[in-house]
Amino acid sequence: MDRAAPLSHLPRRLRLVTAIGALLALLGTYLVSTTDRADAAPVANVIRVAEFPADCTYSHRLPDDPIVFPGLPGASHMHSFFGSTVTNGNTTLPDLVKSTSTCNPAVDVSSYWVPTLYRDNVPVEPAIATFYYLGEGVRSDVVANTQPLPQGLRLVAGNAKATGPNDSIARWSCLHAGQVPPSKDFVNCPAGTMLESYLDFPQCWNGRDLDSPDHKSHLAYPVNQACPSTHPVHVPKLRQVLRYPVSGDPSHFRLASGPGYTMHGDFFNAWPTAEMARRVQDCIRPVIKCGHDGRPI
Amino acid sequence: MRAHVALLTAVVLVAGCGTGSPGAAPPTAVPPTAAPVAATPSNASSAGAFSPTDIAWLQLTAAMTQRLLPVLDLVPTRTTDPTWRRLAVEVRASNRADLTRSRQLLGEAGAPTTNPHEGHDMPGMVTADELAALRSASGKTFHRLLAAHLRAYLTQTTRVATAEQKSGANPATTALATTVITTNQTHLNNLP
Repeated sequence: MDRAAPLSHLPRRLRLVTAIGALLALLGTYLVSTTDRADAAPVANVIRVAEFPADCTYSHRLPDDPIVFPGLPGASHMHSFFGSTVTNGNTTLPDLVKSTSTCNPAVDVSSYWVPTLYRDNVPVEPAIATFYYLGEGVRSDVVANTQPLPQGLRLVAGNAKATGPNDSIARWSCLHAGQVPPSKDFVNCPAGTMLESYLDFPQCWNGRDLDSPDHKSHLAYPVNQACPSTHPVHVPKLRQVLRYPVSGDPSHFRLASGPGYTMHGDFFNAWPTAEMARRVQDCIRPVIKCGHDGRPI
Repeated sequence: MRAHVALLTAVVLVAGCGTGSPGAAPPTAVPPTAAPVAATPSNASSAGAFSPTDIAWLQLTAAMTQRLLPVLDLVPTRTTDPTWRRLAVEVRASNRADLTRSRQLLGEAGAPTTNPHEGHDMPGMVTADELAALRSASGKTFHRLLAAHLRAYLTQTTRVATAEQKSGANPATTALATTVITTNQTHLNNLP
C-alpha cells in the first residue's frame, strides 16, 4: 500500500498484494455477476453516472507550489490548499501519505491547490471545494477500461499564464443562477448566489510518468471520445468545482495569478492505492454514482 | 535525492501494477510497461545533474530578471536624479548577467526557458498595469514607485535564491544562486 516502502520489504509486500489481489478477484467476480443481473433485469436502483467525489474544505494559504517550484518555498503567487493539511514548497509523497486531510472522505490525503481569489484585495476562500472523479467524455468501452490514477501523480490543469479567454479552459458561473451564462472570466452573480469555478483535468495518461517538465504533458485530453495513442491509459477525469461565497460586480475580484481566465489547479495524488482502485472498480468502470465512502448512493 | 524518491516511486508503482492487476479488475487494459521515467529532465553534459528544484529556479530567475528590464529601461527617461540613474545601471548589469547565465544553464539542462506556471502576477514581478503607471509617473512619485518595485524584486530574488542554495543540486546552479544573493543584497543596501 505504501508505494515509497523500501525495496527490501518487497517480498512481504508482494505476498500482501497477492492476497489482496485474490480478494479483489473474488469481489470482481461478484461485481461482474451482479452487474450482469442488473443488465438483464434493469431494476437496479443505482444511479448510472460514473462518479465518486471528495469534498474538501479550505486548509491553508502559502506562496508555495511543490509541483512547479519544488524546494522553493515563497517562489509562487499565493495558493489556497485543500486536502492534505501539511502541503508546502518542500512537500513530497511520503509527507502527504502520513498527513491528515480536510476532505470527506478523510482517506483522501491528496493535495489540491488553486490561486487565491481576492475581493478588493482581501482573500476569499471557497465555502466548499468538490473534486469529482468521473468517467465521461469518452466512449463507454473506454470508461469500462478506466485505470486508477497512480499514487504520486502530479498534474496541473488550466493556464496560469493565459493572456485572454482564448487560451483558457476556465469556466465561471453562478450557483443557483443558471440564467447567468458561463464565461472564461469572472461573471456577475446575483445577490444571494455564489460564484463558481469549474476546471476539468485531462484523463488520458501516458502510462509511464508521474510528472513531466511542464507538469501537463504526461496527460492529455481525449480526442474523438477516446484516448490518443500517445496517452493510451484512461484514468478518471478530475473535475474541480469551487464555490466562493461572493457575488456581484466582478471588477472587485482577482486571482493571485491574474484575471479569472488564469484559473488553474494543481493536483498531487496521494489517495491510498487500494481506496482509489476500489472506487475505479466499483464506481467508474460499471458507471455507478458513488458517495464519499466509494459505495453506490 | 528528490529524483531518487521519484524514481523509486515509479519503480514500485510499475511493480505494483504488474503484480496487482491480474486479480484486480474485470476488463483490464494493461498500461504499457515501458521503463519508468522520473520527472527529472535528463542531461549528460553538465557536471552534476539538474534537479527539478534547479530547473524551476532557473526558469523563475530567467523570467524575473527579464521582467525587470523594461522598468530599468524607463529610469533614464523618467528621472535625472544621478543616484537613481547609477543604481539602475548597476542593477541592469547584474540583472543581464543573471539572465544570460540562467538561460545558459537551462540550455545545458535541456529544459525550456519558460516555466509554464509563472502567472502574470508573481511575487517580485512588475505587472503590465504597474509598468503603465511607471511610464506616466515622474519626480517623487516615480522614485517612490521605482523604489517599491526594486525592493520587491530584490527581496524576492534573494528569498528564492536562498531556497535554491539550500535545496538545489547542480553546483553551477547553486553557485549562481550565491551570486544572486550577494549582488542583490548589495543593491538592496544601496537603495536610497
